[in-house]
This record gives sequence, structure tokens and C-alpha cells, in this order.
Amino acid sequence: MMKTILKAKLPEMLEQLAKEYKVLVPAKLEGVSRFAAYRENLELALDENVTMPPKDIFFPQTEEMYKFAAKDQSLEIEEIPQDEKLQVIFGVRSCDMKSIDCLDQVFLTKGFSDPFYQDKRDRSILIALSCVKPMESCFCTSMGIDPQKGQGADIQAYDLGEKLAFEGITERGQEVLNKVSGMFAEEDAAIPPMGEFNLTANVEGVPEKLKNMFDHSIWDDISRKCLNCSACAYVCPTCHCFDIASEVRGEDGVKIRCWDCCMFDEYTVMAGGHQPRPGKKERVRNRFLHKLRYFPERYNMLLCTGCGRCVVKCPVNLDITNVIKKIKEA
Amino acid sequence: MSEMTKKMQEIAREILVKGEAEVVIGWEKGTFWYLSPPAFIDKPEDVQRLVWDDFCHNNLSKYLVDLKNHEGKAAVFVKGCDSRAFNRLLQDKQIAREKVVLIGIPCPGLLDQDKAKELGKNSDLPKAQKCLDCQYPNPLVYDYYLGDKEALNEVAATKEAADYSDVAAIEAMSPDERYDFWTKQYDRCIRCYACRNVCPACSCRECVFDQTRVGWIGKANNSSENQFFALTRAMHVAGRCIECGECERACPMDIPIMLLNKKLVKDINELFGEYDAGIDIEGKLPLGHFDKNDPEEFM
Repeated sequence: MMKTILKAKLPEMLEQLAKEYKVLVPAKLEGVSRFAAYRENLELALDENVTMPPKDIFFPQTEEMYKFAAKDQSLEIEEIPQDEKLQVIFGVRSCDMKSIDCLDQVFLTKGFSDPFYQDKRDRSILIALSCVKPMESCFCTSMGIDPQKGQGADIQAYDLGEKLAFEGITERGQEVLNKVSGMFAEEDAAIPPMGEFNLTANVEGVPEKLKNMFDHSIWDDISRKCLNCSACAYVCPTCHCFDIASEVRGEDGVKIRCWDCCMFDEYTVMAGGHQPRPGKKERVRNRFLHKLRYFPERYNMLLCTGCGRCVVKCPVNLDITNVIKKIKEA
Repeated sequence: MSEMTKKMQEIAREILVKGEAEVVIGWEKGTFWYLSPPAFIDKPEDVQRLVWDDFCHNNLSKYLVDLKNHEGKAAVFVKGCDSRAFNRLLQDKQIAREKVVLIGIPCPGLLDQDKAKELGKNSDLPKAQKCLDCQYPNPLVYDYYLGDKEALNEVAATKEAADYSDVAAIEAMSPDERYDFWTKQYDRCIRCYACRNVCPACSCRECVFDQTRVGWIGKANNSSENQFFALTRAMHVAGRCIECGECERACPMDIPIMLLNKKLVKDINELFGEYDAGIDIEGKLPLGHFDKNDPEEFM
């Protein structure tokens, strides 16, 4: 037995939840689909995955860390108050659920816990949404992901066509469902089978093979058309590099941390001006080695979830599935 | 295989076999049927990768900036817009003419990739907006020319005068409306710099936006910094933008960047006389020389 609701009644349910929680939903907003705070008449984006992944909910592109003031010989540090409300994030696809697992590894494990990330993560209740028809750029199954089961979800939602079904997984998730239990019908529902994938990648043995490919000529070939922009990294649900900067006006300042990308010159330039990754080859190599070798070595998982966003958005179609193919063939 | 693709492959093979160039830069088929990204061909046996179709959007002259300090020659396929970009880079002394072999391709106008994705194969696809706006579909400079020159002169002759109605619509807004419009557009900018990096007019050795330690621009993504980026980028390519529209196509956030570029083209025309960048390499650059009669109302 599953709890079901007509999709037409979804806004009503979200409305109800928004009274209690901060509710984030996939929406079309000013020309781009992304997660946005639910409000009446918001155009939901449920047919396809959103352009901007949920990454920025936990790890915003720009985050103020603390304020400071330097007067005479003294330094004052002022903490920036965090939102305390629980947030329900509805409609996270399996690929993006996996990406949150990747981000958790970076920001919460190996003896480090990033307080900014942890705070937002702890306050989040995740409602995963199953896929029925993959987009032409999707290849999550190749990355070992089940498009109909979101890893780490508090609630799993299933797309049944006209209806949605909900299954409480964690206690917190169950609690959220209880708040709107009156809206659900209880019925046996069959989850529609997943459609065929257009794109695939065979990653078997790739992390191991890459151990001996640092100096391989493949990187010259792959990197040539790259423009060294950060479209791939900034739409990627797993890319998590950042840079910390100060913005100072007179005596006052604020520490901010902002997304950064290994394609940029400033990313690796060192004190004194030495640039260990001077060109396209070194930067592109680092990007793919990080995703397919270094991250698996450190965390035992790939840093790619097959969401296909970079495949769609790269201005020169530098396609990671093609890179994987070339690595296999090399 | 189309006739043009066959011709491309033949000439590329010839150039590589004869050693006229070490690399041929063209287009090849990408992940999806509506993508034809750049291809670098070094060996005669690889020429079959080259393709000419309705989606060869990338402006290949951009890559010549990468080859600035390289020994040897590169051959590059140029459409009308690529050739204008080449001319403009030549004027800025970014490329040495003798290091490049240009293969001109008459361009009938390419198709809209987003619409192709949305509507699917075998549907009636519109041309890309940048191609509808294009005044120079034929290459202006080349060493080899592929295709039928006469047929394409006809295409060029049917071109209507540049249409600035989209710019005029923005100009007609009140300052507040206009501010609101651009704020909304650039609030979604993620500052990935795809627009800059794909642009053949962006050829600075060190970009102002990369000098973060100097502090021209902050790293924070907010309305203020994003608008500073938007305006500075647009002003900086003014007089050099050859209207290939690659910035707008590359933008992952679908910001109408060409509206800004077209506004500057229009302003230059009005302030300094009719001027199309990258057409006449001998002519004076409107923003690159001083004329006593230049307007200076602000002084």
C-alpha cells in the first residue's frame, strides 16, 4: 500500500507543508529551472530534471562566513546567524541524491565537519523523486545509480503519471508525511518501468587504469577544444571546489566563500606566480582525474552521477561519457 | 554524406598530406544529432571525422588565439562569422596571417540547437537567431573556397538591413524598467565565463575578470558584481564583436547577451558612422583611433 496524491493536488500539499517548513521545489524561474522556495503560482518543473542541481542549497555559490571589524589594535568577529527552520526539499532525482552523498563525503567525513554545510544539511529533509523517462543526456545507471530509488532519501516519491506516490523512509520523513496524511489515498500502485537510456558509459576499471595515465597523450587530444570556462563545474551537482575571499570596506569586512573551478587560472596559481597547471591539458586532466580517480581513491565512489548536465551545457560538447570511452580505449 | 562534407574532408586531407598545415580545425558530430563541436585533425586518416551540417556553430577562429605562440601552421574552416573574427584578430595583431590557412565555407545559416532538442529530428526547425541577424554569411577572407560562389552571392544579396528592433524595444523602456530587465537577466548569471571564453573578440592575455587580487571584480555572485561583469564584458568587446552570437549560445543560463552586444554595435554606428567589425581590415577602427570630429558631449 502506498500513499498517493493527484499531481494536480501537489501544490495544495506543498502549500500545507510550507506552513511548517521551508519548502524547496524544482521550478522554472526567470528562464532557468532550479530549486526555489515554494510559493503560490510557482511554475513547477517536474517533467525533467532541473538545470541547476540542488548543490547550492547546501553549498551556495557565495556564502558569507563571518563578518569582521578591525579597529585600532582590536579585531571583532561577528557570526552570521543561520536560518533555523527545517527545510523540506521536494523532487530530488536519484542522480542528485547521489551527488549529496558525494558532497557529504567531502564536507562531513575524514575528521572534518564543515559547519556551514552541516547546518544546512542537518536542517534538510529530502524527498527523492523517481524518474520514468530518462532525458537524452542521462546516464545515471552507468554510474551505478537506480533512477527510481534515491540514496539517502527521507521520503521516496514515485512518479505514477497522473499521480505521485510517497513512501516514508526515515522517521523525519514519516513525520513530514504525517502532517499532510489527510491528503493521501491509500492504494496499491505499480511503479512504471524505467525507459531506455540513450547515453551510457562503461566505468569498469577506469579508476584503476587512470593510475598509470597521468602522462598519457590522451589528455592533449581531449583538452584541445576545451575553452576553460566553468560551465561544466558550475552546473555539476558534485563539483565542490571553493575559494575564500575577504570583502573589505574601510574597517569592516566579510569573509565569503565562493564556488571555484579547476579550469580557471587563479585556481592553481601559487604565491610567487608559479602556475603548476598552465594550460588546457593540465586543467582538463585534473578535472577528469578528480572525478574518475582521485575521488574514488579517497572516498570509494565516483564524482560523477550521470546527470548529464555538463554534456548538455558544455559549449564545445566535451562529453564525459566520450572521455570515459577514450580512457577505456587508450 | 553531404557534398560539402566530402569537399571538406578532401581539402583537409590535401592540406595535411602536402604539409601546408600541421592541424586542420573543423567540426565533427557530437553526442547528439544537433551538436557539431570543434574537431582538431592532425592526421590525413582522421579527416573522415570532419562534417559540415546545420549545427557547425562554434566560431573556430577563437582557437587561433591558442596557437599564437606555436610554431607551424594551422588550417581552419571559416564561415562568414568565423572569417570576420579572423579579420578582427588580425587587426589586433593576435594572429600572423602567414601562419593560418583559411578554408572558406559559404554558410546558409545554421539551425537553432535548443529548438532541435525540443522539437526533435525531422521537424521543421527555425534558424538560430544569430543567423537570422547575420549580414555576412559568406567568408570574407580565405585561401581556399568550398562551394558555389554564385549561389551564395544570391543568399547574401537577399539579406535585409540589420534589424535592431529588439534593441529598440529595450531602449524604449524607462530606466527603471530597463534596470529591472537586466537585473533579472544577470541575477541568474553563474559567472562561468563561457561567454567570454567562447568569444573570438576576447583575446586579452590576462582578462580583467581574472585579476581578482587587483580587485576590479569580487568573487561573490550577486547583482552588483554580475552587472559589473556584464557591462564590462560588453563594453570591452565593443568594436570587436563580430556578432557571431556564440556568447549567447554558450550561456548555460540563457541570458540574452547579444542584446547588449547589438546595442553597442548600434551605438557605434550612430556615434561614429556605419561600421561592421572584421569586414575591412584596412579601415580605421571606430574605437581604435582619434578623430577631431568625434562626439564628446560628456567633456
